[in-house]
Amino acid sequence: MVALNDYLILGAILFALSVMGIVLNRKNVVILLMSIELMLLAVNMNFVAFSHYLGDTAGQVFVFFILTVAAAEASIGLAILIVLFRNRQTINVEDLDSLKG
Amino acid sequence: MIRQHLPALQVILPLLAAPTCLLLRRAGLAWLFATVVGFATFAIAILLLRQVLSQGDIAYAMGGWSAPWGIQYYVDPVSALVLLIVSGISAVVLPYAARSVAQEIPSERRCVFYTLFLLCLAGMLGIAITGDAFNLFVFLEISSLSSYALISMGQDRRALTSSYQYLIMGTIGATFILIGVGLLYVMTGTLNMQDLAQRLPAVATTRTIHTAFAFLVVGLSLKLALFPLHLWLPNAYTFAPSVVTTFLAATATKVALYALLRFVFTIFGAEYAFNTMPLGPTLLLLALLGLFVASAVAIFQENIKRILAYSSVAQIGYMILGISFATVTGVSAGILHLFNHALMKGALFMAVGAIFLRTGSMQLQHLAGIGRRMPWTMAAVVIGGLSLIGVPLTVGFISKWYLIQAALERGWWPVAVLVLIGSLLALVYVWRILEAAYFDAPAKPDAHIKEAPLSLLIPTWALVLANIYFGIDTSLTVGVARQAAGLLLGVQP
Repeated sequence: MVALNDYLILGAILFALSVMGIVLNRKNVVILLMSIELMLLAVNMNFVAFSHYLGDTAGQVFVFFILTVAAAEASIGLAILIVLFRNRQTINVEDLDSLKG
Repeated sequence: MIRQHLPALQVILPLLAAPTCLLLRRAGLAWLFATVVGFATFAIAILLLRQVLSQGDIAYAMGGWSAPWGIQYYVDPVSALVLLIVSGISAVVLPYAARSVAQEIPSERRCVFYTLFLLCLAGMLGIAITGDAFNLFVFLEISSLSSYALISMGQDRRALTSSYQYLIMGTIGATFILIGVGLLYVMTGTLNMQDLAQRLPAVATTRTIHTAFAFLVVGLSLKLALFPLHLWLPNAYTFAPSVVTTFLAATATKVALYALLRFVFTIFGAEYAFNTMPLGPTLLLLALLGLFVASAVAIFQENIKRILAYSSVAQIGYMILGISFATVTGVSAGILHLFNHALMKGALFMAVGAIFLRTGSMQLQHLAGIGRRMPWTMAAVVIGGLSLIGVPLTVGFISKWYLIQAALERGWWPVAVLVLIGSLLALVYVWRILEAAYFDAPAKPDAHIKEAPLSLLIPTWALVLANIYFGIDTSLTVGVARQAAGLLLGVQP
């Protein structure tokens, strides 16, 4: 039997990985987006585990909402990236870092 | 019959109007429709505020499902005030949008623009009215997602980069809020705010709740651009289309601040947040730091929209400062400034948008001598700027007055002195704009620059006059803010 703790530890590991992805990543913006999706998945994991151990299905319904939000987030992010790539021919963080002025 | 369902209509009207805009296919029609909807939501917000003030709080069960199972909409003076300011700003910005959007956004995207605008409006109204913690997250995401898309519509290429930056930061903020909500849910088994408030004290000392509190505060601080987490704001405001900047500057951070008030005071309670957790000193420190750093940075900017954006970060410091006092006067000063800052930044960004329409530039050096070419627009900037500084007879003075009073009440006179010094910094950056506009000689005489069209001037001046009106007759704003603060702190005013 897998205990609630195990799920939470897995969620925490996923969360930590995604934070590291955001902080350490200096090269690629797509990885930023992936890290954020991973963070949302870690939260989803918590919600499903909680709702299972509470015996309350509401938590699983929330996960569907979060998945929808995450999908919308990713689509907007990728859409912006495609337009950016058409303009600049690059998606490196350093090349895009020209926000001054 | 309809009066009974006002709380639902407040959100559903713009939410359903948004896709309809897309179906209209003609930009003019979409604009007209969106404007009518904007005014209708404003009217609903006024009716709701009157109802709340005369008959007390309204609890509305969405779809007839009662509170613990269904989603409950709950309107008290705090939310009614936020609803009023958000829908009021949208009702002023939409008439202004027609000309500004026609210039800044390509014709095939205009219908989409109004759709996104109404979605953003619906999301913000939803945050202010909902009584359910998870529902609040969903509305927060509706408004944020549409604002990412709105910002990316800016003419400048950098709009895309800044929108992406906002997307990343905003999503991290939202995820943090979600983690907090999830932890609250596992400890209490409910997400209704009033249920949460009742069940939390029993488990308040557990580490889970401490973590939830920390995640929620950090996530919301990201959304409301509290000082070290404000990095997305200046770029997003600078490169977004003028209408979007006006709308977001006047409402987005305010709504996030409202959400913070709700979580800290209604759900966790002032006692827990300020005595068990060190929220007071943390917010006080960050607010003062933000106030000074952002004001100082604003002084050295060359882009007028950027100056105002950094000034927004500084003004958020004032609001947070008021809240960090955790007294009735302090919190009501915070709520007052929330309302007043929306009025002044709305007016300022609208005037700046009008200048951009005529000159096509946001750089200070290109604005030389604009005061003579566009006297009415610049007069609006002058009054807005005075209000930002906090000169008597404007709304800015009212909020500073209560803020200083709150500081003295706690006996923290150094804080009161710092607030006054912060106003001096505001004087410096406002002066830089005015100096460029009135005293610098134009590099080359641009005879073709003329006064902004009436369709921009009238909405701008409507907000400018609101700045003066609420600076003189404070009975409505101060009354509601005091009542709201008393309610949040659980003290009878």
